[in-house]
Amino acid sequence: MTMTPDHEHKDCLAMFAKLSEYIDNELDEPARKEIEDHAGVCLPCRACLETLRQTINMYKKLTSYQKQVPETFSKRLKGLIQKLPLEK
Amino acid sequence: MSISPNPRIAQDDDFELIRAINAGQSGLFPELLRRYERKLYNFGMRMCRDVQDTEDMVQDTFINVFNYLKDFRYETKFKNWLYRIATGTCLKQKRKSKYAPERELSLEEFIPDEKARMATQVPEWASLPLEQLLNEELSSLIKEGIASLPEKYRLVLVLRDMEEFDTAETARILGLTPENIKVRLHRARLFLREKLKAYYDHDA
Repeated sequence: MTMTPDHEHKDCLAMFAKLSEYIDNELDEPARKEIEDHAGVCLPCRACLETLRQTINMYKKLTSYQKQVPETFSKRLKGLIQKLPLEK
Repeated sequence: MSISPNPRIAQDDDFELIRAINAGQSGLFPELLRRYERKLYNFGMRMCRDVQDTEDMVQDTFINVFNYLKDFRYETKFKNWLYRIATGTCLKQKRKSKYAPERELSLEEFIPDEKARMATQVPEWASLPLEQLLNEELSSLIKEGIASLPEKYRLVLVLRDMEEFDTAETARILGLTPENIKVRLHRARLFLREKLKAYYDHDA
């Protein structure tokens, strides 16, 4: 990522590795603040963060609908289970 | 078929039902099936994609649950125990899979290139409403992207971001460390971000 007078490239790489933990709120306060401070001065890193967050939003939204179980399968499964011998 | 105890969990809505089944009321088992059949079916469709493989996975999982329920130790949520059985069944099936080849994803392969380093603004798609973004073409692209994830990454992504288990629960279901789950999840997400980024960059 970018190298500007504000920060060093290694800070970008460190941030890049922790983006998911940041998004999932799994970082402690100092690590969280470090990322926020860095994203505040580094636009490419902010772009990474925001596009990753949006990617997650998109596939979560797309897969949020739960399909119905086909009725024929559901009946077959229930019938099968009811015929299973009980283990002692 | 037991999984590591989690002392924080003392209550589970399913415990009463399971105790009754294990006390001899096996006629109540279909209620357990009713509670989880749809969830497992959808999990199967996300992991196996193929209807026949999904039905086989759901059936084998419930047969295993039926046979091993007496060994359930009430130390974890039933749902977590169920998914541990389901993922094991899924992985056995997937050894014969025709889907995404197994390979490691490295963090390095996702580090933004020179062009991205020169970015002067956050891409517009990062802030547009989802309803505006998720057209048919893009929805297909995302679904294909998920399907093309190597299995061990897809499994973590599905459990964490679609089945909504937290990091610790996912680690216990898969028998991995929480750190390992975080690493796999991050790489899986970056893999999908790359697909979207390529789509928008191409479009630009």
